[in-house]
Amino acid sequence: MRLHPFALSEPETVPEAVEVLARFDGEARVIAGGTALVPTMRLGLVRPDRLVSLHRVPALSGIRVDGDALDIGAMTSLAALSRHDAVRARWPLLGQAALRVATPAIRSTATLGGNLCYAEAASDPAPALLCLEAQVRVAGPSGERAVPLAGFFTGFYETAVAPGEILTAVRVPAAPAGAGSGYMRFCPRSAEDKPLVGVAALLVLDAAKRVAEVRIALGGAAPTPIRARRAESALGGEPLTDAAISAAAEAAAAEADPLSDLMGSAAYRREMIRVWVRRLLLSLR
Amino acid sequence: MISIDFTLNGRPCRIDVPAHWTALDLLRDGLALNGTKYGCGEGVCGTCTVLLDGEPVRSCLVLAARLRGRAVLTVEGLDRDGEPDRLQAAFARAGAVQCGFCTPGMLLSARALLASNPSPSEQDVREALAGNLCRCTGYTKIVHAVLAAAGGP
Repeated sequence: MRLHPFALSEPETVPEAVEVLARFDGEARVIAGGTALVPTMRLGLVRPDRLVSLHRVPALSGIRVDGDALDIGAMTSLAALSRHDAVRARWPLLGQAALRVATPAIRSTATLGGNLCYAEAASDPAPALLCLEAQVRVAGPSGERAVPLAGFFTGFYETAVAPGEILTAVRVPAAPAGAGSGYMRFCPRSAEDKPLVGVAALLVLDAAKRVAEVRIALGGAAPTPIRARRAESALGGEPLTDAAISAAAEAAAAEADPLSDLMGSAAYRREMIRVWVRRLLLSLR
Repeated sequence: MISIDFTLNGRPCRIDVPAHWTALDLLRDGLALNGTKYGCGEGVCGTCTVLLDGEPVRSCLVLAARLRGRAVLTVEGLDRDGEPDRLQAAFARAGAVQCGFCTPGMLLSARALLASNPSPSEQDVREALAGNLCRCTGYTKIVHAVLAAAGGP
Protein backbone atom coordinates (compact mmCIF):
# COMPACT_ATOMS: atom_id res chain seq x y z
CA MET A 1 0.00 0.00 0.00
CA ARG A 2 1.39 3.34 -1.08
CA LEU A 3 1.55 6.46 1.10
CA HIS A 4 -0.71 9.28 -0.04
CA PRO A 5 0.97 11.59 -2.57
CA PHE A 6 2.85 14.48 -0.93
CA ALA A 7 5.54 16.97 -1.91
CA LEU A 8 8.93 16.70 -0.26
CA SER A 9 11.35 19.43 0.80
CA GLU A 10 14.89 18.49 1.76
CA PRO A 11 16.51 21.60 3.28
CA GLU A 12 20.22 21.57 4.08
CA THR A 13 20.33 24.12 6.91
CA VAL A 14 18.15 24.90 9.90
CA PRO A 15 17.25 28.43 8.67
CA GLU A 16 16.28 26.93 5.31
CA ALA A 17 14.08 24.35 7.05
CA VAL A 18 12.42 27.08 9.13
CA GLU A 19 11.88 29.16 6.00
CA VAL A 20 10.26 26.22 4.17
CA LEU A 21 7.94 25.59 7.12
CA ALA A 22 6.91 29.25 7.14
CA ARG A 23 6.35 29.26 3.37
CA PHE A 24 4.09 26.21 3.53
CA ASP A 25 2.44 27.21 6.78
CA GLY A 26 -0.21 24.70 7.77
CA GLU A 27 0.46 22.33 4.85
CA ALA A 28 3.90 21.04 5.76
CA ARG A 29 4.98 18.66 8.44
CA VAL A 30 8.48 17.88 9.65
CA ILE A 31 9.74 14.31 9.24
CA ALA A 32 12.80 13.04 11.11
CA GLY A 33 13.27 9.24 11.15
CA GLY A 34 9.67 8.65 10.15
CA THR A 35 9.20 5.59 12.37
CA ALA A 36 6.19 7.24 14.04
CA LEU A 37 4.98 9.55 11.26
CA VAL A 38 4.97 7.03 8.39
CA PRO A 39 2.73 4.48 10.18
CA THR A 40 0.47 7.36 11.28
CA MET A 41 0.17 8.47 7.63
CA ARG A 42 -0.42 4.91 6.49
CA LEU A 43 -3.29 4.66 8.95
CA GLY A 44 -4.71 7.85 7.43
CA LEU A 45 -4.56 9.73 10.75
CA VAL A 46 -2.53 12.57 9.24
CA ARG A 47 -2.32 13.55 5.59
CA PRO A 48 0.17 16.40 5.13
CA ASP A 49 0.47 17.92 1.65
CA ARG A 50 4.21 18.33 2.13
CA LEU A 51 6.90 16.76 4.26
CA VAL A 52 10.01 18.67 5.26
CA SER A 53 12.65 16.00 5.80
CA LEU A 54 15.56 17.01 8.03
CA HIS A 55 17.90 14.20 6.95
CA ARG A 56 20.14 16.48 4.87
CA VAL A 57 20.79 19.07 7.60
CA PRO A 58 24.29 18.27 8.91
CA ALA A 59 23.89 20.68 11.85
CA LEU A 60 21.19 18.43 13.31
CA SER A 61 23.31 15.30 13.54
CA GLY A 62 26.10 14.29 15.83
CA ILE A 63 26.81 13.89 19.53
CA ARG A 64 29.24 16.28 21.16
CA VAL A 65 30.61 16.39 24.69
CA ASP A 66 30.75 20.06 25.60
CA GLY A 67 32.57 20.44 28.92
CA ASP A 68 30.40 18.68 31.47
CA ALA A 69 27.35 18.53 29.21
CA LEU A 70 26.27 16.41 26.29
CA ASP A 71 24.89 18.01 23.12
CA ILE A 72 22.85 15.65 20.96
CA GLY A 73 21.71 16.71 17.51
CA ALA A 74 17.99 16.14 17.10
CA MET A 75 18.51 13.77 14.14
CA THR A 76 20.79 11.43 16.12
CA SER A 77 19.44 7.91 15.91
CA LEU A 78 18.60 6.02 19.09
CA ALA A 79 21.06 3.32 17.95
CA ALA A 80 23.91 5.83 17.60
CA LEU A 81 23.01 7.32 20.98
CA SER A 82 22.98 3.98 22.81
CA ARG A 83 26.38 2.90 21.45
CA HIS A 84 28.18 6.25 21.91
CA ASP A 85 31.18 5.87 24.24
CA ALA A 86 30.61 9.04 26.29
CA VAL A 87 26.90 8.27 26.65
CA ARG A 88 27.67 4.77 27.90
CA ALA A 89 30.32 6.01 30.31
CA ARG A 90 28.78 9.21 31.68
CA TRP A 91 25.04 9.13 30.87
CA PRO A 92 24.31 5.38 31.12
CA LEU A 93 20.68 6.08 32.07
CA LEU A 94 20.07 7.71 28.69
CA GLY A 95 21.91 5.00 26.74
CA GLN A 96 19.97 2.27 28.56
CA ALA A 97 16.60 3.89 27.91
CA ALA A 98 17.41 4.49 24.21
CA LEU A 99 18.36 0.82 23.86
CA ARG A 100 14.94 -0.25 25.14
CA VAL A 101 13.01 1.40 22.32
CA ALA A 102 11.43 -1.12 19.91
CA THR A 103 13.88 -3.20 17.85
CA PRO A 104 17.29 -2.73 16.14
CA ALA A 105 15.90 -1.73 12.74
CA ILE A 106 13.69 0.91 14.39
CA ARG A 107 16.46 2.31 16.61
CA SER A 108 18.72 2.71 13.56
CA THR A 109 16.15 5.06 12.02
CA ALA A 110 14.22 6.63 14.90
CA THR A 111 15.76 9.87 16.15
CA LEU A 112 15.96 11.34 19.63
CA GLY A 113 14.39 14.60 18.46
CA GLY A 114 11.58 12.71 16.74
CA ASN A 115 10.92 10.64 19.84
CA LEU A 116 10.53 13.79 21.96
CA CYS A 117 8.43 15.69 19.40
CA TYR A 118 6.09 12.72 18.94
CA ALA A 119 5.50 13.10 22.70
CA GLU A 120 4.41 9.54 23.28
CA ALA A 121 3.39 9.32 26.95
CA ALA A 122 5.19 5.97 27.20
CA SER A 123 8.43 7.21 25.57
CA ASP A 124 11.49 5.39 26.92
CA PRO A 125 14.06 8.20 26.50
CA ALA A 126 11.81 10.90 27.98
CA PRO A 127 11.80 9.72 31.63
CA ALA A 128 15.58 9.26 31.46
CA LEU A 129 16.02 12.79 30.10
CA LEU A 130 13.62 14.20 32.71
CA CYS A 131 15.78 12.63 35.44
CA LEU A 132 18.88 14.10 33.81
CA GLU A 133 17.17 17.53 33.68
CA ALA A 134 17.82 17.92 29.97
CA GLN A 135 16.96 20.96 27.89
CA VAL A 136 15.96 21.07 24.27
CA ARG A 137 16.71 23.80 21.74
CA VAL A 138 13.99 24.89 19.37
CA ALA A 139 14.56 26.99 16.24
CA GLY A 140 11.87 29.13 14.64
CA PRO A 141 11.35 32.25 12.58
CA SER A 142 12.44 34.48 15.48
CA GLY A 143 15.59 32.50 16.32
CA GLU A 144 16.49 29.78 18.77
CA ARG A 145 15.22 29.26 22.30
CA ALA A 146 15.95 26.75 25.04
CA VAL A 147 13.12 24.83 26.71
CA PRO A 148 13.68 22.72 29.83
CA LEU A 149 12.32 19.25 29.14
CA ALA A 150 10.28 19.60 32.34
CA GLY A 151 8.19 22.22 30.48
CA PHE A 152 8.36 20.63 27.03
CA PHE A 153 5.49 18.15 27.14
CA THR A 154 2.31 20.22 27.27
CA GLY A 155 -0.40 17.59 26.73
CA PHE A 156 -1.38 14.31 25.13
CA TYR A 157 0.97 14.09 22.08
CA GLU A 158 1.57 17.84 22.42
CA THR A 159 4.78 19.76 23.01
CA ALA A 160 6.07 23.32 23.37
CA VAL A 161 7.28 23.22 19.75
CA ALA A 162 5.05 25.77 18.01
CA PRO A 163 3.94 25.45 14.38
CA GLY A 164 6.88 26.55 12.22
CA GLU A 165 9.47 25.55 14.80
CA ILE A 166 11.97 22.68 14.78
CA LEU A 167 13.61 20.92 17.69
CA THR A 168 17.33 21.12 16.88
CA ALA A 169 19.21 19.62 19.83
CA VAL A 170 19.01 18.09 23.27
CA ARG A 171 21.44 19.24 25.95
CA VAL A 172 22.05 16.96 28.89
CA PRO A 173 23.95 18.30 31.91
CA ALA A 174 26.34 16.08 33.84
CA ALA A 175 24.69 13.76 36.32
CA PRO A 176 25.47 14.66 39.97
CA ALA A 177 28.74 13.15 41.23
CA GLY A 178 28.29 9.65 42.61
CA ALA A 179 24.77 9.26 41.23
CA GLY A 180 23.33 5.82 40.63
CA SER A 181 20.61 5.47 38.06
CA GLY A 182 18.40 3.00 36.29
CA TYR A 183 15.50 2.54 33.90
CA MET A 184 12.92 -0.23 34.07
CA ARG A 185 9.90 -0.76 31.87
CA PHE A 186 7.01 -3.13 31.95
CA CYS A 187 5.63 -4.62 28.74
CA PRO A 188 2.71 -6.95 29.36
CA ARG A 189 2.69 -8.35 25.83
CA SER A 190 5.96 -8.31 23.92
CA ALA A 191 9.35 -6.78 24.59
CA GLU A 192 9.41 -4.58 21.48
CA ASP A 193 6.17 -2.80 22.35
CA LYS A 194 6.08 0.61 23.91
CA PRO A 195 5.91 0.02 27.65
CA LEU A 196 2.75 0.03 29.70
CA VAL A 197 4.78 2.00 32.22
CA GLY A 198 8.43 3.03 32.32
CA VAL A 199 10.31 4.24 35.38
CA ALA A 200 13.63 6.10 35.51
CA ALA A 201 15.43 7.15 38.66
CA LEU A 202 18.64 8.90 39.58
CA LEU A 203 19.84 8.73 43.15
CA VAL A 204 22.71 10.13 45.23
CA LEU A 205 23.30 8.63 48.66
CA ASP A 206 25.42 10.44 51.27
CA ALA A 207 28.08 8.83 53.47
CA ALA A 208 25.40 7.76 55.98
CA LYS A 209 23.44 6.08 53.11
CA ARG A 210 20.71 8.72 53.28
CA VAL A 211 19.17 10.03 50.07
CA ALA A 212 21.00 13.27 49.27
CA GLU A 213 19.36 13.73 45.90
CA VAL A 214 16.67 11.81 44.06
CA ARG A 215 14.91 12.22 40.74
CA ILE A 216 12.17 9.89 39.55
CA ALA A 217 10.34 10.14 36.23
CA LEU A 218 7.57 8.07 34.71
CA GLY A 219 6.39 7.11 31.25
CA GLY A 220 2.87 5.86 30.59
CA ALA A 221 1.74 7.33 33.90
CA ALA A 222 -0.03 10.46 32.64
CA PRO A 223 -0.95 12.08 29.31
CA THR A 224 2.75 13.06 29.09
CA PRO A 225 6.01 11.75 30.58
CA ILE A 226 6.28 13.26 34.09
CA ARG A 227 8.59 13.76 37.07
CA ALA A 228 7.21 12.05 40.18
CA ARG A 229 7.89 14.92 42.57
CA ARG A 230 5.89 13.57 45.49
CA ALA A 231 7.67 10.24 45.30
CA GLU A 232 10.94 12.17 45.34
CA SER A 233 9.84 14.16 48.41
CA ALA A 234 8.94 10.93 50.19
CA LEU A 235 12.59 9.84 49.95
CA GLY A 236 14.62 13.02 50.41
CA GLY A 237 16.97 12.93 53.42
CA GLU A 238 15.85 9.46 54.49
CA PRO A 239 17.76 6.20 54.41
CA LEU A 240 16.51 3.88 51.66
CA THR A 241 14.64 1.53 53.96
CA ASP A 242 11.98 -0.86 52.68
CA ALA A 243 9.38 1.38 54.30
CA ALA A 244 10.72 4.55 52.63
CA ILE A 245 10.82 2.83 49.24
CA SER A 246 7.26 1.56 49.63
CA ALA A 247 6.11 5.02 50.65
CA ALA A 248 7.76 6.53 47.56
CA ALA A 249 6.16 3.89 45.33
CA GLU A 250 2.74 4.62 46.86
CA ALA A 251 3.30 8.34 46.33
CA ALA A 252 4.23 7.80 42.67
CA ALA A 253 1.10 5.70 42.09
CA ALA A 254 -1.03 8.34 43.81
CA GLU A 255 0.35 11.29 41.84
CA ALA A 256 0.16 9.47 38.50
CA ASP A 257 -2.76 10.32 36.25
CA PRO A 258 -2.75 7.36 33.86
CA LEU A 259 -4.99 6.81 30.87
CA SER A 260 -6.92 3.67 30.00
CA ASP A 261 -6.29 2.13 26.59
CA LEU A 262 -6.05 -1.27 24.90
CA MET A 263 -2.76 -2.02 26.69
CA GLY A 264 -4.20 -1.56 30.16
CA SER A 265 -6.67 0.27 32.34
CA ALA A 266 -5.78 3.33 34.39
CA ALA A 267 -6.11 1.31 37.58
CA TYR A 268 -3.75 -1.39 36.28
CA ARG A 269 -1.21 1.20 35.17
CA ARG A 270 -1.35 2.88 38.58
CA GLU A 271 -0.69 -0.45 40.28
CA MET A 272 2.20 -1.22 37.90
CA ILE A 273 3.71 2.21 38.65
CA ARG A 274 3.72 1.29 42.32
CA VAL A 275 5.31 -2.10 41.62
CA TRP A 276 7.98 -0.85 39.20
CA VAL A 277 8.98 2.26 41.17
CA ARG A 278 9.53 -0.02 44.12
CA ARG A 279 11.54 -2.56 42.10
CA LEU A 280 13.70 0.13 40.55
CA LEU A 281 14.47 1.81 43.88
CA LEU A 282 15.30 -1.55 45.48
CA SER A 283 17.74 -2.22 42.65
CA LEU A 284 19.49 1.12 43.29
CA ARG A 285 19.92 0.60 47.02
CA MET B 1 9.56 12.92 -9.35
CA ILE B 2 12.83 12.96 -7.48
CA SER B 3 16.10 11.52 -8.66
CA ILE B 4 17.91 9.04 -6.43
CA ASP B 5 21.57 8.11 -6.92
CA PHE B 6 22.72 5.38 -4.59
CA THR B 7 24.67 2.15 -4.37
CA LEU B 8 22.52 -0.95 -4.64
CA ASN B 9 24.07 -4.31 -3.79
CA GLY B 10 27.51 -2.95 -4.60
CA ARG B 11 26.62 -1.31 -7.92
CA PRO B 12 25.76 2.31 -8.69
CA CYS B 13 22.05 2.85 -9.31
CA ARG B 14 20.04 5.84 -10.43
CA ILE B 15 16.26 6.01 -10.54
CA ASP B 16 13.52 8.65 -10.63
CA VAL B 17 10.63 7.99 -8.24
CA PRO B 18 7.65 9.95 -6.87
CA ALA B 19 8.54 11.90 -3.70
CA HIS B 20 6.03 9.96 -1.60
CA TRP B 21 7.57 6.57 -2.36
CA THR B 22 9.29 4.64 0.38
CA ALA B 23 12.53 2.73 -0.08
CA LEU B 24 10.40 -0.42 -0.31
CA ASP B 25 8.29 1.06 -3.13
CA LEU B 26 11.52 1.97 -4.92
CA LEU B 27 12.95 -1.54 -4.61
CA ARG B 28 9.82 -3.51 -5.45
CA ASP B 29 7.94 -1.29 -7.87
CA GLY B 30 10.77 0.84 -9.25
CA LEU B 31 13.39 -1.89 -9.68
CA ALA B 32 11.33 -5.11 -9.57
CA LEU B 33 13.53 -6.43 -6.76
CA ASN B 34 10.79 -8.46 -5.10
CA GLY B 35 12.97 -10.27 -2.58
CA THR B 36 12.25 -7.54 -0.05
CA LYS B 37 8.69 -8.16 1.15
CA TYR B 38 5.81 -5.88 2.07
CA GLY B 39 4.40 -7.22 5.32
CA CYS B 40 2.71 -4.92 7.82
CA GLY B 41 3.72 -1.57 6.29
CA GLU B 42 4.20 -0.03 9.71
CA GLY B 43 7.62 -1.22 10.82
CA VAL B 44 6.55 -4.05 13.08
CA CYS B 45 7.01 -7.33 11.17
CA GLY B 46 10.54 -6.86 9.81
CA THR B 47 10.19 -8.66 6.49
CA CYS B 48 11.04 -5.45 4.56
CA THR B 49 14.36 -5.09 6.44
CA VAL B 50 17.32 -4.01 4.27
CA LEU B 51 20.74 -2.71 5.26
CA LEU B 52 21.40 0.99 4.81
CA ASP B 53 25.14 1.69 5.16
CA GLY B 54 25.30 -1.62 7.02
CA GLU B 55 22.53 -0.85 9.51
CA PRO B 56 19.20 -2.66 9.42
CA VAL B 57 16.25 -0.41 8.56
CA ARG B 58 12.59 -0.93 7.75
CA SER B 59 12.32 -0.08 4.06
CA CYS B 60 8.56 0.44 4.48
CA LEU B 61 9.24 3.37 6.86
CA VAL B 62 12.19 5.03 5.14
CA LEU B 63 11.42 7.55 2.41
CA ALA B 64 13.12 6.72 -0.89
CA ALA B 65 14.79 10.15 -0.79
CA ARG B 66 16.86 9.01 2.17
CA LEU B 67 18.71 6.45 0.05
CA ARG B 68 20.49 9.19 -1.87
CA GLY B 69 24.26 8.77 -1.65
CA ARG B 70 24.03 5.72 0.56
CA ALA B 71 24.64 1.99 0.19
CA VAL B 72 21.69 -0.41 0.24
CA LEU B 73 21.99 -4.16 0.60
CA THR B 74 18.96 -6.34 -0.15
CA VAL B 75 18.54 -10.10 -0.13
CA GLU B 76 19.35 -10.09 -3.85
CA GLY B 77 22.85 -8.84 -3.00
CA LEU B 78 23.81 -11.59 -0.57
CA ASP B 79 24.95 -14.35 -2.90
CA ARG B 80 28.49 -14.54 -4.27
CA ASP B 81 28.37 -15.20 -8.02
CA GLY B 82 25.22 -17.25 -7.66
CA GLU B 83 26.50 -19.21 -4.66
CA PRO B 84 24.61 -18.71 -1.39
CA ASP B 85 26.55 -16.76 1.22
CA ARG B 86 27.39 -18.19 4.64
CA LEU B 87 24.06 -17.21 6.21
CA GLN B 88 21.95 -18.39 3.29
CA ALA B 89 23.78 -21.73 3.30
CA ALA B 90 23.32 -22.06 7.06
CA PHE B 91 19.59 -21.30 6.76
CA ALA B 92 19.27 -23.98 4.07
CA ARG B 93 21.24 -26.56 6.07
CA ALA B 94 19.28 -25.88 9.28
CA GLY B 95 15.91 -25.91 7.52
CA ALA B 96 15.36 -22.40 8.90
CA VAL B 97 12.68 -21.69 6.32
CA GLN B 98 9.02 -22.59 6.34
CA CYS B 99 6.86 -20.32 4.20
CA GLY B 100 9.90 -18.10 3.52
CA PHE B 101 8.15 -14.75 3.80
CA CYS B 102 10.24 -13.57 6.77
CA THR B 103 13.51 -15.01 5.41
CA PRO B 104 14.86 -11.94 3.55
CA GLY B 105 14.47 -9.78 6.65
CA MET B 106 15.89 -12.47 8.91
CA LEU B 107 18.97 -12.83 6.68
CA LEU B 108 19.67 -9.10 6.63
CA SER B 109 19.14 -8.57 10.36
CA ALA B 110 21.44 -11.55 10.97
CA ARG B 111 24.03 -10.17 8.59
CA ALA B 112 24.08 -6.82 10.42
CA LEU B 113 24.52 -8.68 13.70
CA LEU B 114 27.45 -10.78 12.46
CA ALA B 115 29.16 -7.72 10.99
CA SER B 116 29.23 -6.00 14.39
CA ASN B 117 29.44 -9.12 16.57
CA PRO B 118 31.09 -12.09 14.80
CA SER B 119 30.64 -14.46 17.77
CA PRO B 120 27.18 -13.73 19.16
CA SER B 121 25.57 -15.59 22.03
CA GLU B 122 22.13 -17.10 21.52
CA GLN B 123 20.71 -14.13 23.47
CA ASP B 124 22.50 -11.70 21.12
CA VAL B 125 20.93 -13.48 18.14
CA ARG B 126 17.47 -13.38 19.68
CA GLU B 127 17.80 -9.66 20.43
CA ALA B 128 19.07 -8.89 16.92
CA LEU B 129 16.11 -10.77 15.41
CA ALA B 130 13.54 -9.43 17.91
CA GLY B 131 12.02 -7.21 15.24
CA ASN B 132 11.65 -9.97 12.65
CA LEU B 133 8.45 -11.94 13.05
CA CYS B 134 8.10 -15.49 11.73
CA ARG B 135 4.41 -16.36 11.71
CA CYS B 136 5.26 -20.00 11.04
CA THR B 137 7.01 -19.62 14.45
CA GLY B 138 10.15 -21.37 13.22
CA TYR B 139 12.42 -19.29 15.43
CA THR B 140 14.51 -22.10 16.91
CA LYS B 141 15.99 -23.22 13.60
CA ILE B 142 16.54 -19.62 12.52
CA VAL B 143 18.51 -18.90 15.70
CA HIS B 144 20.49 -22.13 15.23
CA ALA B 145 21.24 -21.20 11.63
CA VAL B 146 22.64 -17.79 12.63
CA LEU B 147 24.78 -19.36 15.36
CA ALA B 148 26.00 -21.98 12.88
CA ALA B 149 26.88 -19.29 10.34
CA ALA B 150 28.80 -17.39 13.03
CA GLY B 151 30.75 -20.48 14.02
CA GLY B 152 31.25 -21.74 10.47
CA PRO B 153 34.24 -21.29 8.17
